[in-house]
Amino acid sequence: MFQIIKNEWQFLVRSRIFLGISIAFIAIMLLSIFLGNYQTQKQEQTHQNAKNHVRQQWVSIDEMNPHSAAHYGTFIFKPTNLLSNLDEGVNSVTGNVLRVEGHVQNEIVHSEASQMQAVSRFGKLKPSLLLQYIVPLLLVFLAFNTVSNEKQSGRLKLLVLQGAKPLQIILSKTLAVWLYGVLLLIFILFVYGILNVQSLTTDILARTGLFFISYCLYYFIISGLTVFFSSRWQNATLALTSMLGIWIIWTIFLPNILMSSVEKWHKLPSRNEFQTAMKEDRSKGLDGHNPTDKRSLALKEKVLKEYGVDSVSQLPINFDGMRMQADEDYGNSVWDKHFGNNRSVLKKQKQSFQLGGIVNPFISLQNTSMGFMASDNLHHQEFLLQVENYRRVFIKMLNDKQIYGGSKTGDWGWKIDNAFFKSVPDFDYKPTEISAVISNYILDVVLLFLWTILVVALIVLGTKKLKMV
Amino acid sequence: MRSLTIFLYEWKHFTGSPFKIVAVLLFIIASLYGLHNGADLYEKQNAEIERINNEAKTKIETTISYFENNQKGPENRPWIDVTSTFWALWHTPTYHLKKPSPAIVYNIGQTEQYGFYKVIGTSSSPYDADMTKEIANPERIQSGTLDFSFVILFLLPLLLLVLLYNIKGQEAEHGFLPLVFVQTGAKNWWIVSRTAFYAILLLLVLFGLMLYGAMLTNVFDSANIFGNIFLWITLYLFFWIVIYFLILKYGKNTVSNTLQMIGIWLLFAFIIPATVQQWITIEKPTNLMVDLIDVSRDTKSEINAQSIDQIDAQLFELYPNLKDTKVAKENIRVSGIRGLSSDALINVEMKNATQNIEEENKLKNKLISKTYWFNPITYFQNKLNQLTNTHYNDYETYRNTIQKSVDKRNKILVFDVWNTIEVDKEKYLEYNATLSNNE
Repeated sequence: MFQIIKNEWQFLVRSRIFLGISIAFIAIMLLSIFLGNYQTQKQEQTHQNAKNHVRQQWVSIDEMNPHSAAHYGTFIFKPTNLLSNLDEGVNSVTGNVLRVEGHVQNEIVHSEASQMQAVSRFGKLKPSLLLQYIVPLLLVFLAFNTVSNEKQSGRLKLLVLQGAKPLQIILSKTLAVWLYGVLLLIFILFVYGILNVQSLTTDILARTGLFFISYCLYYFIISGLTVFFSSRWQNATLALTSMLGIWIIWTIFLPNILMSSVEKWHKLPSRNEFQTAMKEDRSKGLDGHNPTDKRSLALKEKVLKEYGVDSVSQLPINFDGMRMQADEDYGNSVWDKHFGNNRSVLKKQKQSFQLGGIVNPFISLQNTSMGFMASDNLHHQEFLLQVENYRRVFIKMLNDKQIYGGSKTGDWGWKIDNAFFKSVPDFDYKPTEISAVISNYILDVVLLFLWTILVVALIVLGTKKLKMV
Repeated sequence: MRSLTIFLYEWKHFTGSPFKIVAVLLFIIASLYGLHNGADLYEKQNAEIERINNEAKTKIETTISYFENNQKGPENRPWIDVTSTFWALWHTPTYHLKKPSPAIVYNIGQTEQYGFYKVIGTSSSPYDADMTKEIANPERIQSGTLDFSFVILFLLPLLLLVLLYNIKGQEAEHGFLPLVFVQTGAKNWWIVSRTAFYAILLLLVLFGLMLYGAMLTNVFDSANIFGNIFLWITLYLFFWIVIYFLILKYGKNTVSNTLQMIGIWLLFAFIIPATVQQWITIEKPTNLMVDLIDVSRDTKSEINAQSIDQIDAQLFELYPNLKDTKVAKENIRVSGIRGLSSDALINVEMKNATQNIEEENKLKNKLISKTYWFNPITYFQNKLNQLTNTHYNDYETYRNTIQKSVDKRNKILVFDVWNTIEVDKEKYLEYNATLSNNE
């Protein structure tokens, strides 16, 4: 088997067209990695400048009432991700700026895609674009005549007469082509690793390893299927056109149709419906800015009783802050309900889309590629959750200061000094570890394995009916 | 006559090739799916607009009832007084809407990157959070909706490839190419005729599909849209036909022709647009709107902290006629009046900040436009976006009209506050008429 693979490679290396295409392709891959890295560095610089600027504004507040500070709020910018150099996923279409303030959970805004006219429907020149769309085509071009040519020239019969088993021949040819894809993959990951060697962590290595496995499986499916067609059809052109047809259906046609369909099966509310429903639920709770609100009055009675006093002026704390925090707590339950509902719809959409991997392994590859590179919607939602958790801690700190900081109820002119603002921690994004989210991609990986087994089965069964000429 | 014979033979060849028939059928199915996606979006946006208009109507009726029942506002909000200009305007619901063009059935364009309705207040800006896209799955937006334009821009060249790939190559491989040339007289004419057959076939299919699409959203209600879009789609088809024709003319065999065709398609559909987008984001990284943030927080605080004289001076510069109002003439120095007027000054600063953002975006668009000569798919995509009012520029126009609406609202607020106008039902209705929902 090794000898056949070696022969295949010797044959490939002798081909000028093969060498030309490989050199051109490697040049594009290098370009994609370097440009991707450079873009990440520039975006990271922009992000860091914006982050520092906003933080500087916050720590420079001389003195301010805590609740005014809650309205002043802060802004969180979606950080760039080293892994997104390989697969950018949803990053260019999601927003980048999230306002953190009292009373409301905001949505992330200002996406990259909204800041210019349309350019590319398939995203930027990232390695994933080449690895997902172009490399499989190269494998098809390498494999479509690999067996049919042998048949036409009579070499296949000769090989069998020399003692090689048909299954060995077909599998070796599959592996020879597959190896080409794997080598390109290794090359791209190696260059990526060299360029980012100082930033590599165990998590990044684990993610990259899983990314590598997914692509290896997909390349085997493509190589195996093409070699299978090459052995089944008498005509090489038929094998090529069949595989091109499959490539078009798998990569261009089905993912788009399926993604549009799952959004219809599991519907998200419109923005207006979403906002109206939240406003409606919000209005049923306590209004922090309305002291005459019935729920505010009930809370006041409860607090007065707890402290054993008759009026808020006798309280050792600031009741306004307490009302504001009660408002926040109620608001948080509303945001959890509605944003939680959206998240669960998005999860259902994702799960339905993942099932598409049964008929289309490219869908599984796309999911694992984005997922392992931390740039899919799941990771985006994790980021949003972290920001919301930070917002709650941030606002509670301000409300607690209002309550227990030494001011009295109604004293809206009371201000806290700069030391307090400096003590409020900045948002610290903790990248989601692969171990926490891997369960979400098991289905995709399993489907890729099943497809691999199916292709092996096809080769084994197909070889039995193989005609030598 | 000679061409007709070639056409008839080509028809026989086409009907005898299940692979080509299946490809055409798949193309038609994808087109129908895409057209329905566009029509669904059209209906969804119109339904949302109707819902918003009804909501606004209910709000107006509720406020009118306050005037009719001599109420100042809702009972649980005692601080509200709708007879004051500020609260009357607060209760004048104004939405700025971007009504979808019926041509959206053909091309969704950048529709899903932006919002299409915006509630207007005195402190609104075209870059507010509610100007972002509808709530949608980002993975779907990233992969793009399969609309008719996607089918045209990306699948049409592939369909053409499937229909043309074996022209000449197959005959050459079977060794009867010289015979064909002898029988048909001219090599080029034979290839042109066979290619023309598929061009006509595809034009008929496309025309039929576009007619079907037109029935879904009444495209014919808008003058020339159908004709213009069909013209551009025809040009796009011819662009690919010319490329493929040249490959066939100079190609040696089917496999090499197929590889060259798919190579060119990959270059134009993937590599060039993706490289351009990567280059643009390096040249002009995503704007994180720090200028806008500064205005919305620091500049706003600075304006609000100014003295009455400083605010008055800026307001008089902004609205020279303000000097003729009651407050100015009688020199009434109430800080509350200035407080209510400060939104107009903040609005000026916001406009300056948004202008910078728009300028930066224009630069990006200019850079993209400069690549059109070697980036044809992006060119055709943006052309279709312009024809269907879903281009970046259409949303820029939408943002500009939003800004004008905010300007108008601020001017009314400032002048009526400075004239100490007491609002009654008629005045309230006048506000609604002046600031009515814009479509």
